[in-house]
Amino acid sequence: MTTTAQPRTARLTYNRTIGVAAMQGRGFYYPWSVAVAADGTYFVLGRGSDSDPRGVRMVAMNLEEEYFGTFGSFGEGSGQAIWNASTAIDSQQRLFTSDDHMNRILVRTLDGELLDTWGESGTGEGKLNGPNGLAFNSKDELLVSDHLNGRVQKFTGDGKHLATIGEFGSGDGQLNLPWGLHVDADDNLYVADWGNDRIVKFSSSGEFLANFGSVGRGEGEFDAPSDVCVDSDGYMYVADWGNQRIQVLDADGGFVEQNEGQATISKWAQDFLDTNVEESAARDAADLDMDLMFNTDDPHERSAHIEKLFWGPTSIALDNDGHVLVVDSNRHRLQVFDVVTSA
Amino acid sequence: MASKEIKLMAHLMRRAGFGASRGRLDELVEQGYDETVESMLSAIDRPTRITDNLIRRYHPEYSGMMGNQSPSGNWMYRMVSTDAPLREKVGLMWHGMFATGYSKLANGKVLHDQIRMFERHGMGSFKNLLMELSRDPAMIVWLDNSENHNGSVNENYGRELLELFSMGVGNYTEHDVKEAARAFTGWTIGNTEYMTLKSARDSVWPYGRLSFHFEYKEHDHDNGEKEFLGHKGNLNGEDIVDIICKQPATAAFLSRHMYSFFVADEPPVPEWPYKEPRDPEAIAALSKVYFDSDYNVEEMLRFLFKSEFFKSEQARYQRVKSPAELVAGVLRLTGEFDRPKVDMNPTNLQSTYMGQWLLNPPSVEGWHWGTEWIDSGALVERVNFASERLGNIESPGVQTLIDRILSDSNGGLNAEELVERALDELSVGDISDKTRSALVEFAEVQVNQSDSGNAGPEQVANVLKLVGATPEFQRA
Repeated sequence: MTTTAQPRTARLTYNRTIGVAAMQGRGFYYPWSVAVAADGTYFVLGRGSDSDPRGVRMVAMNLEEEYFGTFGSFGEGSGQAIWNASTAIDSQQRLFTSDDHMNRILVRTLDGELLDTWGESGTGEGKLNGPNGLAFNSKDELLVSDHLNGRVQKFTGDGKHLATIGEFGSGDGQLNLPWGLHVDADDNLYVADWGNDRIVKFSSSGEFLANFGSVGRGEGEFDAPSDVCVDSDGYMYVADWGNQRIQVLDADGGFVEQNEGQATISKWAQDFLDTNVEESAARDAADLDMDLMFNTDDPHERSAHIEKLFWGPTSIALDNDGHVLVVDSNRHRLQVFDVVTSA
Repeated sequence: MASKEIKLMAHLMRRAGFGASRGRLDELVEQGYDETVESMLSAIDRPTRITDNLIRRYHPEYSGMMGNQSPSGNWMYRMVSTDAPLREKVGLMWHGMFATGYSKLANGKVLHDQIRMFERHGMGSFKNLLMELSRDPAMIVWLDNSENHNGSVNENYGRELLELFSMGVGNYTEHDVKEAARAFTGWTIGNTEYMTLKSARDSVWPYGRLSFHFEYKEHDHDNGEKEFLGHKGNLNGEDIVDIICKQPATAAFLSRHMYSFFVADEPPVPEWPYKEPRDPEAIAALSKVYFDSDYNVEEMLRFLFKSEFFKSEQARYQRVKSPAELVAGVLRLTGEFDRPKVDMNPTNLQSTYMGQWLLNPPSVEGWHWGTEWIDSGALVERVNFASERLGNIESPGVQTLIDRILSDSNGGLNAEELVERALDELSVGDISDKTRSALVEFAEVQVNQSDSGNAGPEQVANVLKLVGATPEFQRA
């Protein structure tokens, strides 16, 4: 399969918002990553808060906001996590999560049953220091963004070290606090090179292929990108985390478009508003899409004020139907987009 | 024994910063006292080591700020890592004077924004600062100016502006309070009803906290004639601030706050109308700079740090470190937060346990600084915190301290030498004879118990722990 861009342009079209803020149960409390099972179920991993760890959990749901339950909890015990970081599902439908404080990988069934735990702290080959982004290749090998070691490591599903890709630095093939990962259909690896404000592409054998983007707020520029996913036409969808937006690049890195967020009221959010009439009425009377002046060029400030905008997009993924899912962490929701391609 | 120059520099760094290691003091003495003051005044608070992005990546709570510890945890990172500590100290001073709290706002982001406003404007014109404060969304909700309407006045902000933020009790009348409040009608936040309802309900639904923004509602402003401190006219909030800043009482009130924060503890503010300042001449001199510089805070600080009343040995250790200052100072020494770590939240909570929950003061009056910090069981918390952290041999900063102490031991330190070196490295000078005797006695036991008969890393760490418990270390 080729990943060369076709002569057409991918366009993002807003579809809907799913989720709502909730310390526990149905909803999210700082969602951080999402993985999609073969049956279309979304598994949304919660980072939670240091002062209220109930958000450290996995929420199972789908595009229609059917809620299937939660599992996982905060702690250092078996099956628990301190700093949930990323999630991915292998071909056997096993659910992997990383904990970048405990330096370990948890393996579960999709029902939440703990199958395995592996990972050892350190800097040597096969050791982990801050594992976060996860992605599987076509051989069911797990790529782990070993971020404080400035590299990506490849493991078998049961934790046997296979390869190391990249090293700390800012040159070609080097990484600085890498975060999200994606493996395309040809097993090329894409790394959100957070500290270097770029996307780095490696071949399936770990050879450096290309850098995309550089630091900035302009088109095709990034501020600390957190994640990337790639569609079958080779278009890259980048969670441009520090710029509070997503960007679409073509397979050569050319800028296609950007989106700052268009959130609307989700079903779960509507349920809340329906049962809190006074708050709902006050909200209806408010203008939540104001044109404001800020004393900084940091888009974080704008996103803190204007609800529809992305505020901390930590993860981006494609579901089985081609929807682009953006984990909008500080707003405790996912914004969902369709990709419309035109000749 | 530290030189006079080192002791003076250590004094400056305790007051204008959060303390400094002996190695850093050596560099600063080489640079010169006046030059160091200038560099601290001009330093820009732009984080380079622990950037905003780093904090947000690891602690989403310090970004989305849904919980009541979030703004203070974020601020603690800044205090621990900044290269412009005076900016943070000035922010602490303004937060103590203009105390605003989470308990009513239920919104960490707007409190965080207020502290950033202090960092931007806190060393410029006091008049400009009062204007920014009057427009500050957190302050507007905290003191109910969002409820201050044309024809239905809420006096809360007008009263505190005069009583606690500028002139002090006894320098204005009840009529002035009412007229000031009228002048600030219409100064509110956007989407007032929704934002204040969310705060009142502590609502995070549906999508987390929304930050506030200032809004002036002309239609809700009382455009009638007012009389304030002898000035008549259709006064608006800007006019009130302008008149306030011209008052000698404002100069004296602000000067006393600055003296209390940077030179020596004054009694709590409610006692000021009845108690003379410790150093009336210093207050008068600072007041003169206030007027001569057109109310410029930086000029007042420059004068203060270069004054004899500040440099005097009589001013040393005349302030009890506030809990936040103590925690930040210790963490800067231990170097344990070289990057964001999960331990920040419980560590930051230590300041709360010691009596200072930043961004959540007990009332609009703020905290009673000074000896009240150590009057209660909080002293135990303070001593335990400092001792535990300074004795943690795993911390990179403690390892550096130990290495420096042992590096010039020439084959071994006796107990007196060990104590002297530990005091020197922690920049604690001029301790009482009683404290020194207790430290030496403890160090003798440590040295005698070591296998080699000489102090090793563990023994040094134990002495550092005990220095952290001394009254001198608890003071600035």
